[in-house]
Amino acid sequence: MSTREENGREPQRGAVGDGAPPEGWEAPRERWLSTVVRPAFGPRSVLLEVATRLLIPTILVFSVFLLVSGHDQPGGGFAGGLVASLAYVLRYVAGGRRELAAGMPMRPEALLALGLLVACATAVAPLLFGASVLEAASVTVTLPVFGKVKFASFLLFETGVFLIVVGLVLSVVSALGARMEAEEEEVRIVRARTTRFGRMRGGPR
Amino acid sequence: MLLPFLLALHAVVAALLPPLARVLGTRVFVVACLPPALTALWVLAHAPDVVAGQPVTSAVTWVPALDINLEFRVDALTLAMVLLVSGVGAVIFGYCARYFHTGERGLGRLSAVLVLFAGAMLGVVSTDNLFALYVFWELTSITSFLLIGHDDRKEHARRAALQSLVTTAGFGLPMLVGFILLGQIGGSFRISTLVADPPVGDPLLPVALVLVLAGAFAKSAQVPLHYWLPGAMIAPTPVSAYLHAAAMVKGGVYLVARLAPGFAEVDPWRALVLTFGMATMVVGGWRALRQDDLKLLLAYGTVSQLGFLTLLAGTGTQVAATATIGVLLAHGFFKSALFLTVGVIDHQTGTRSIAALSGIGRRMPVVAGAATLAAASMAGLPPLLGFVGKEAALEAYLPGGDPATALPSGAAAVVLVGVVLASVLTVGYSARFVWGAFSTKDTVAERRVPRPAAAFVAAPVSLAVLSLAAGVLPFAVDPVAQGYAAAFDTSGEPYHLALWHGLTPALGLSALVLVAGALLFHRRVTVARVQQALSRWPDADRGYHGVVHAIYVVALRVTRLLQSGSLPVYLGVILATLLALPGARLVMALASGDVAPPGAGGNELRFWNTPLEGVVALLIVVTAVATVREHRRFPALILVSAMGFGVAGLFVLYGAPDLALTLVLVETLTTIILVFVLRRLPATFGTRPDGWAKRLTVLLCAAAGTFIAVSLWLMTAARTDPPVSLGYTSLAREAGGDNLVNMILADFRALDTFGEVVVLATAAVAVTSLVLLRRSRVVEETDPGPDETEEERAGARTGEGERT
Repeated sequence: MSTREENGREPQRGAVGDGAPPEGWEAPRERWLSTVVRPAFGPRSVLLEVATRLLIPTILVFSVFLLVSGHDQPGGGFAGGLVASLAYVLRYVAGGRRELAAGMPMRPEALLALGLLVACATAVAPLLFGASVLEAASVTVTLPVFGKVKFASFLLFETGVFLIVVGLVLSVVSALGARMEAEEEEVRIVRARTTRFGRMRGGPR
Repeated sequence: MLLPFLLALHAVVAALLPPLARVLGTRVFVVACLPPALTALWVLAHAPDVVAGQPVTSAVTWVPALDINLEFRVDALTLAMVLLVSGVGAVIFGYCARYFHTGERGLGRLSAVLVLFAGAMLGVVSTDNLFALYVFWELTSITSFLLIGHDDRKEHARRAALQSLVTTAGFGLPMLVGFILLGQIGGSFRISTLVADPPVGDPLLPVALVLVLAGAFAKSAQVPLHYWLPGAMIAPTPVSAYLHAAAMVKGGVYLVARLAPGFAEVDPWRALVLTFGMATMVVGGWRALRQDDLKLLLAYGTVSQLGFLTLLAGTGTQVAATATIGVLLAHGFFKSALFLTVGVIDHQTGTRSIAALSGIGRRMPVVAGAATLAAASMAGLPPLLGFVGKEAALEAYLPGGDPATALPSGAAAVVLVGVVLASVLTVGYSARFVWGAFSTKDTVAERRVPRPAAAFVAAPVSLAVLSLAAGVLPFAVDPVAQGYAAAFDTSGEPYHLALWHGLTPALGLSALVLVAGALLFHRRVTVARVQQALSRWPDADRGYHGVVHAIYVVALRVTRLLQSGSLPVYLGVILATLLALPGARLVMALASGDVAPPGAGGNELRFWNTPLEGVVALLIVVTAVATVREHRRFPALILVSAMGFGVAGLFVLYGAPDLALTLVLVETLTTIILVFVLRRLPATFGTRPDGWAKRLTVLLCAAAGTFIAVSLWLMTAARTDPPVSLGYTSLAREAGGDNLVNMILADFRALDTFGEVVVLATAAVAVTSLVLLRRSRVVEETDPGPDETEEERAGARTGEGERT
């Protein structure tokens, strides 16, 4: 693992015999992701990293599209949130937990809190105007480029749902995936240290 | 009326105290004094009206739909209680400023919680609504929990606090049920209405009263629930003085006294109140006689006095009611004075043990004088308020009163004997207190102790003097007692609180009690020996621990029984229940013909709508069978997700793209997340069931699948009313959206969605914290202790539940 990380640019050669491709043959020569890449599973893959780099912006834009088009077409806050979180999961799979942390806009707990806050605010805001809880209101305006655009209060509510879904998935991923990965690494380090000590003690003087 | 504002003032001042404590140090208690002092002044200003029979009232609507309003009503009984809660409270808060040292831990919190407690107690005694009373009541439970556990680094203090909370709040719940019953059968939740027009004759009334009395008894530390009060003596002494002399424990007595005018005649009321009151009185007095710690002596004395008060308050005659007010005030004054005296002694000498104190009377003559005065009031010596109250109490149970209103003579005789016995014990422990605290004992070496400051001593002295003044001038207290006792009918002349009633039998009894008590004190060595011999009595404290332990053991057993940790067992139980209850019902309905299988009219079974459905169904069936036959975890996971995609395909064919989209996304995501977990698990499933276990599993699963399929088929055909969704299309257009599913989620049923996202957020936090919990253990996995593995297994189990 450590050799792969250090020689990220140079693919390793001749490590394994009997006709199999050398370890790390898939590793890219360019830097495609924002951190020193250490994938969650298996070796680095140029295909995965390039695809991640190119796809993530598209996926995120698509998730926003799903969110705003939800009230006329299939989509909505829940589906949009799932798509957006899939983008982060892809990033994690390709680049490991450091990459995930680098890509997160804020901590998952903060996302959850923000989402709950937005949803609560939308729920309670109508009370201030004498309406009942969660009563919807919509405004249609004509914008220069987009033409007639409708803004409805349930879009805000859906945004809250969107944020909560992203927060949920990210916290599960960072708990189950990233934290487990960190633990495994820790255990590995501890083991490596104990074996080294053992060798030193038992070795020739 | 100002009362709601005074209550709010308590809360506001409490919020301000912690930051102030950092600046002012112990002087913060002078600020804490303000709300109760203002309340006492306010209530004194209104006293003439209140005593004249014109209660001060005010109301703030809170939850009008449930008849829960913050109604306040200050009558004579409330007046007496407010004088104790706020008046004595203000004196004690002032004393705190001298008792605590600057720089002591948690002064800000202590002062704030004390003021909050005073506010809650004020609410208890002044509200006229049962629900509001309950809310304030539980507020006192919680604040007293914080006060008793003030020294939170001591395990002992934490345990005592928890014990008091479990007891008082635990019995508060049946009391709430009693309140609801009372309000339902009485048609009103306003206490004054209920008492004025009690629903006598309703079969549920005795049940309601028993439940309410249970709460009141727990709060007022009646036997066998008295154990928490001595335990709570771990609190700082001023806190004990306030909680156990003036305020909290009087809550139960107050409730009994409040309801007595309406309900004393209803059947189990008198039996309960008299039995428990008398038992408490005697047990408390007996235990007080053998305490070495001065504070514990006072604590058991308080238990005894509370039994006495409950007995008087619940009796429900004019004389007893008059005595109630007299003893209530007397006890508030003398007991807080005595507690504060103990505080002074503890503060100056560092001990409260009778066996270690000697010569204090000579070093602190003023304190000794005040304490002797207060103890004399406790013993019922003339001319103190305690004597006046006890005289009235004896009179209440003497034969020869008005036959129409008096108790049955047999019961009255028994109670009279009990009261006399407890009074003898009271004289005994009062004398023991004064002797133990102040006398010069030959066997104990005298220590030089610093004299207390004048301001420190002022509080106990002023309270002791109040006992004397109210005793010498009983006509100052009598109007309050008359104001309360007027609720009870009397055919003859009403009884008045006075020092001299002439040569009555009560006076003779008082003298007898004093002589017997003095004898008891004189022969204290013999008494101690008898107590030693009888010390194997059942201990209520041990009973409490037994109950708590039993609950714990049962909970553990139930958990072990139900939470076996095996996913197949959980699923099996769920499926078996599904088959046993709704499944059996369905079979019965089909057999008897209640439910007819759908026949003609477009509902008959068809093979498919389009052949494409057949293809998708085939995919689902193939993946399902393959999943069951797969031995490796990872391929099984992939097959399950493939099956999910097949179901999504069905949704598409039936014109539900929204659903299909969401399902595809969820399937993808869960597959990825499960892969994270699978890395940790063995590559193949462990042992699979064989023989009978396998046959049972197959049978159960097949039956459950059949049941669900058949019931779905029947249910979709069983519609009797037009679907609720028919109007949704036009409504959705009106609301400004074409996607019906989304309009339902985000607009029509937005509240449901809101609830669901809250659940999602909670689940996210729960998953994270569960994994965090495991984290520290995985690293230390080299040497797991037996407890750790147990917990870890539990954590893993719950985590699994979240994931699936």
